[in-house]
Amino acid sequence: MNNTDLVKKSLQKRYLKERIFKTMGFVSIATAILFLLILLTDIIGKALPAFSQTNIELQVELSEEQLGINANSSEDDIRNADYRKVIREALLGLFPDVTKRKEKRELYSLTSMGAEFQLRDTVIENPEFLGTTQTINFLADDDVAGVVKGNIDRNLPESDRRVKNQKLGWIETLEANGQINTTFNWQFFSSGDSREPEMAGIKGAILGSFFTLLVTLALSFPIAVAAAIYLEEFAPKNRFIDFIEININNLAAVPSIVFGLLGLAVFINFFSMPRSAPVVGGIVLSLMTLPTIIIASRSAIKAVPPSLREAALGLGASKMQTVFHHVLPAALPGILTGTIIGMAQALGETAPLLMIGMVAFIVDIPQSVVDPSTVLPIQVFLWADSPERGFLEKTSAAIMVLLFFLIAMNAIAIYLRKKFEKKW
Amino acid sequence: MNEAVMNELAEPIMKKSSGPETEESLNIEYGETVGQPFCEQAKIKTKNVNVFYADNQAIHDISLDIGSHEVIALIGPSGCGKSTYLRTLNRMNDTIDICRVEGQILLDDEDIYHKKQDPVLLRARVGMVFQKPNPFPKSIYDNVAYGPRIHGLTRNKAELDDLVEASLTKAGLFDEVKDRLHAPGTGLSGGQQQRLCIARTIAVQPEVILMDEPASALDPIATAKIEELINELKENFTIVIVTHSMQQAARVSQRTAYFHMGRLIEVGDTDQIFTNPAHELTEKYITGRFG
Repeated sequence: MNNTDLVKKSLQKRYLKERIFKTMGFVSIATAILFLLILLTDIIGKALPAFSQTNIELQVELSEEQLGINANSSEDDIRNADYRKVIREALLGLFPDVTKRKEKRELYSLTSMGAEFQLRDTVIENPEFLGTTQTINFLADDDVAGVVKGNIDRNLPESDRRVKNQKLGWIETLEANGQINTTFNWQFFSSGDSREPEMAGIKGAILGSFFTLLVTLALSFPIAVAAAIYLEEFAPKNRFIDFIEININNLAAVPSIVFGLLGLAVFINFFSMPRSAPVVGGIVLSLMTLPTIIIASRSAIKAVPPSLREAALGLGASKMQTVFHHVLPAALPGILTGTIIGMAQALGETAPLLMIGMVAFIVDIPQSVVDPSTVLPIQVFLWADSPERGFLEKTSAAIMVLLFFLIAMNAIAIYLRKKFEKKW
Repeated sequence: MNEAVMNELAEPIMKKSSGPETEESLNIEYGETVGQPFCEQAKIKTKNVNVFYADNQAIHDISLDIGSHEVIALIGPSGCGKSTYLRTLNRMNDTIDICRVEGQILLDDEDIYHKKQDPVLLRARVGMVFQKPNPFPKSIYDNVAYGPRIHGLTRNKAELDDLVEASLTKAGLFDEVKDRLHAPGTGLSGGQQQRLCIARTIAVQPEVILMDEPASALDPIATAKIEELINELKENFTIVIVTHSMQQAARVSQRTAYFHMGRLIEVGDTDQIFTNPAHELTEKYITGRFG
C-alpha cells in the first residue's frame, strides 16, 4: 500500500467523525430551540387573555335624589356619593326576581369592586350626566371574566365549579342580551397592583423597575468605568492590585441574595434609608452589577490596540489625554454592551430585592426613587403566588412584559456595538 | 499594552537568538565602538546607556551622538536593540513597567531622564513615527490637528487650518487628500496612512523625529515616497531612522550605526559603512552573512 491509499483509508474515518460531530451540534441546537419555543408558546398562550378585559354594559340611572347630589354640589360630596347603590339598582333592575339577601350579594358580585369608582370618575368627568340615565361599560368581576374567557368550564358539575348555576344563568342571560363585551385591557398598563385580578395592572412594577435601574445605572456605570480605566491603564502592577482584581472576579460570582442581606443590614438598618424604595434597590443592584461592567469594560479597554496609545503618547499627549481621547472612545462599544447586559441582569434580579422589602403589596404607582414600589420580576413572583385564577394570566402577561424589556435592552446593546464598532 | 509592547521588543533578546551564526561561533570580542560615534554639532548625546527589561539587559553601554539636522540610520539584525535604543530617546520605554534605563541621554545638553524632565514635553520635542501606520480612527484633518490642539499651538481655527495644510503639504499628502480632509484617516492606503502619521508628527513641530522602520509595512512605491519625504524633512528636522533595509539606510542617511546583540558595533559615514566597514561583524551583516 502506498501513501495515497493509507490517506484514503484514514479519510473515511475522519469524515465519519466530522459528520457525527456536526449532527450532534445540530441536534443540540434544535433541542434548545424546541424548548425555547415550548416556553414562549406556553407563556404567550397563557398571557393573551390578560390583554382583553371583560365588561358588563349596564344602564344606570344617575338621579340626583338617589345620589343625593346635584351639579352644584362640592367636589367632595360628588366624590363621596353612594355610587355602589346605583350599580346595584341597575343589576336588580335586570334580574327583579332576586330577593334573598344571599342571592343579592351574589348578584352584586357580577361587577368588579372597582365598578363604583369607575362610575364615580365618570360622573366627576361628565357632571352633565347627573339626572340622566346612561349606558356604561363596567368592569366585570374576575369570575365573570373567567366564564366568558373559558377559564371556568361551564360543563363541569356545579359542585366542582367555582361559579354556581344561578350566577352562570345570570351571566348567560347577560351574554344573550349582548351586555357582555370584551375590550383591550389598557388598564393593565395604566394601573398598579390590586387584590382583584381584573383591576391589577403592571404600571407600578414597570415604573419601579425603571427607577431602580435608573439608580443602578447612575451609580454603577461611572464607578465601574472609572475602576476599569484605573485598573487597566494607571494601576501599578503589584500584589495589592492583583488582590483587588481577583476579588472583583469573585464578586461577580457571589449569590445575589447576599447583596440583599448586605443592603438590608447596611442601607436600611444602619443608614435608615426607606424600605421598599427603588433607591435602595438600585444601590444593591449596582453592587451586583459593578463587577459585570468592570470585567466587560476592562476587556474592552484591553482590546484597544497598543499602537493607538503609542500614537497619542508619541505626539506628546498625557496619559489622561491618551485614555480619554483615544482609548475610551475605541473601547466604548464594548463598555456599553457590557453595561446593558449588566442592566438586563439587574432588571431580572429578584432575590436581593426581596430582602429589602420590595416584595410588599403596593397599590400606588411610584412617583420617584424614594416611593415604595415593586419591580417586574417581583410582580411576577407576587402574582404567581396569588390563589385567584385571574392572576394566572396576569403572571404570564407580566413575564411577557419583562421578556420584552430584556429583549429590547439586548437589541439596543447589539445596535450600539454595531454602530460604534471601528475598523482598525 | 505594556506587556504587548514588551514582548514585541524583548522577546528576541530573551531568546538570545542572533541569526544563523551565534556569538560563540563568531568568537568575537565586542570591545569599543568602532568609527566616529561622536560629532561636533550634536543634537542628542547618549553616554553609556544601558537598558534592562527586568533582569535582561537589552542594551549594553551605548555612547552615540546624533548630529543636528542629520539623518542617522540604525541598522542591525532582529533583536539587536535598535528599536529599544530609539525608544529611549523620547522615553517611550516609560510605558513599559519593567524597563529600566541607565546612563545619560542629553537633548541640547539637558538630561531627558532628569527627575524634572516632563516626558510629555519631551515627546512634543522628539516626535515618533511607528512601524505600522497607526492613524487615529478620526478624520484626516483631526489626525493632524490633534497634536497642535492638545498642546495649544494655534490660537484660532484659521491658524489651525493653515498648520494642518502646511503639515500635510510637507508630508506630500495634501494634494491627494485635500478634497476629503474630513474623511476617516483609516480609509487611506497604507503608504498614505504612514505619510499622514508623518504629517501628524511634524504638525507638533518637533526638533527630532524618530522613525521605527517606517516603510517596512509598505510596498516599494510607497516606500520610495517615504524616503523622498525623509530627504526633504532633513532640512528642518533631525531624523533617527531604524531600518531593516540596508538599501534604504544607504539611500536616506548620512551616518549609519550598526547594532549587534544590544551593542553598538560601528558608527560611521553611510558611504564608508557600506563600502568599507571597519568591523568584522558589520561586514558580515552588510554582505548578508547573517541578519
